[in-house]
Amino acid sequence: METGGFHGYRKLPNTTAGLKLSVSDMNMRQQVASSDHSAATGEENECTVREQDRFMPIANVIRIMRKILPPHAKISDDAKETIQECVSEYISFITGEANERCQREQRKTITAEDVLWAMSKLGFDDYIEPLTMYLHRYRELEGDRTSMRGEPLGKRTVEYATLGVATAFVPPPYHHHNGYFGAAMPMGTYVREAPPNTASSHHHHHHHHHHARGISNAHEPNARSI
Amino acid sequence: MDHQGHGHGHGQNPSMGVVGNGPQFPYGSNPYQASHMTGSPGMVVASPGTIQSTGQPPSTQLGQHQLAYQHMHQQQQQQLRQRLQAFWANQYQEIEKVTDFKNHSLPLARIKKIMKADEDVRMISAEAPVIFARACEMFILELTLRSWNHTEENKRRTLQKNDIAAAITRTDIFDFLVDIVPREDLKDEVLASMPRGDVPVTGPPEALPYCYMPPQQVGAAGVMMGNKPVMDPYAQQTHPYNMAPQLWPQPPPPPEQQQSSPDQ
Repeated sequence: METGGFHGYRKLPNTTAGLKLSVSDMNMRQQVASSDHSAATGEENECTVREQDRFMPIANVIRIMRKILPPHAKISDDAKETIQECVSEYISFITGEANERCQREQRKTITAEDVLWAMSKLGFDDYIEPLTMYLHRYRELEGDRTSMRGEPLGKRTVEYATLGVATAFVPPPYHHHNGYFGAAMPMGTYVREAPPNTASSHHHHHHHHHHARGISNAHEPNARSI
Repeated sequence: MDHQGHGHGHGQNPSMGVVGNGPQFPYGSNPYQASHMTGSPGMVVASPGTIQSTGQPPSTQLGQHQLAYQHMHQQQQQQLRQRLQAFWANQYQEIEKVTDFKNHSLPLARIKKIMKADEDVRMISAEAPVIFARACEMFILELTLRSWNHTEENKRRTLQKNDIAAAITRTDIFDFLVDIVPREDLKDEVLASMPRGDVPVTGPPEALPYCYMPPQQVGAAGVMMGNKPVMDPYAQQTHPYNMAPQLWPQPPPPPEQQQSSPDQ
């Protein structure tokens, strides 16, 4: 399927960003390759989840803990391990809630919005505002790379991001509640797009595919994910 | 003095020789309500009765002692609230300046594996682990900050597991973590609230009101359940959404969690 000739220039800001980062296009392609490689490795590991993979690396955890502790503070070994366990529990807790929402709405992919929604529902209100800003900044600075890196997922993410951003502009900025009520609309839109053929979706909503190589990548990650 | 709805009421009968033993058993099974807080003066009166036959002078001394401790404790909670406010303001400011999204504080691949440990999870957007990396950092920082507050309360410089247990007990949104810390550490949290000068046997009844002050005040700091006058350390049982059966079986239980199962 030839989609090289079709470009959606509706997203001018991203296009500009792409132009500015013309040099990093090379890096993006490399990242795509490395991403595929790591994805393959990840899939192999997922068959047998090893003990060490159930927790965050303890060095990372300790480094983060020390950011908030006074210099003279010491951390016992059992406290370090307990925090490790708490983080994994936190990820599973939030993911479970986010996934339930996906299933209710008959979607297959857990998005960043689902994660934020789950946090809000489970009482982590203080986290929403900073994380919403973090997500927006991520999309501003990394949006192009994300879409190039994980094309099938990235495509949906970008599409979703567009709607999300558009919705965000209507209510006051960073008012997460309005944002998430508004998010319901893009959800509906997203669901309506699900029935059409995946290939058709690619064709109609493709914004960044310029090469046949991209197309082949689009299929491979999809197969692996399923 | 009779307290309706409290199984441990008998334990506070002045005529009984041992006050400390009675309340220990019903404590774990009885939820405490605001009405119990008003009973604390009675508890104060009952406690000195077991120490000395003369009621007046010891009662005054212990009352002052508890007031002093209460004041210190309130100061500690106020300090925690201020630190949390500063923490969240700082988080927002830091994120405003973030420009590097490649060096995450936590590996995205590991996050994805943990998310996928749930077999129901199918596909994950590339952005979800990115958001989780930052969220987990905030989670670690908040939990560590609340735990350290407990370390300082006990005049220590080493953050221990029971400090984390205390933070979990005192924070509603951390209810889902209760199973990770063994019940022993939860008991330590209760004992840790005892005024230092008191005799151990009289600790539990006196410690009761203090156990519920932290959640209430911490809640006021911004936790969603801040409207409650008094929070139950086992609030998990009163929040159905936390008890969703689909959630709990999902994560693979760590070894310690298995050990704690028999205790529950």
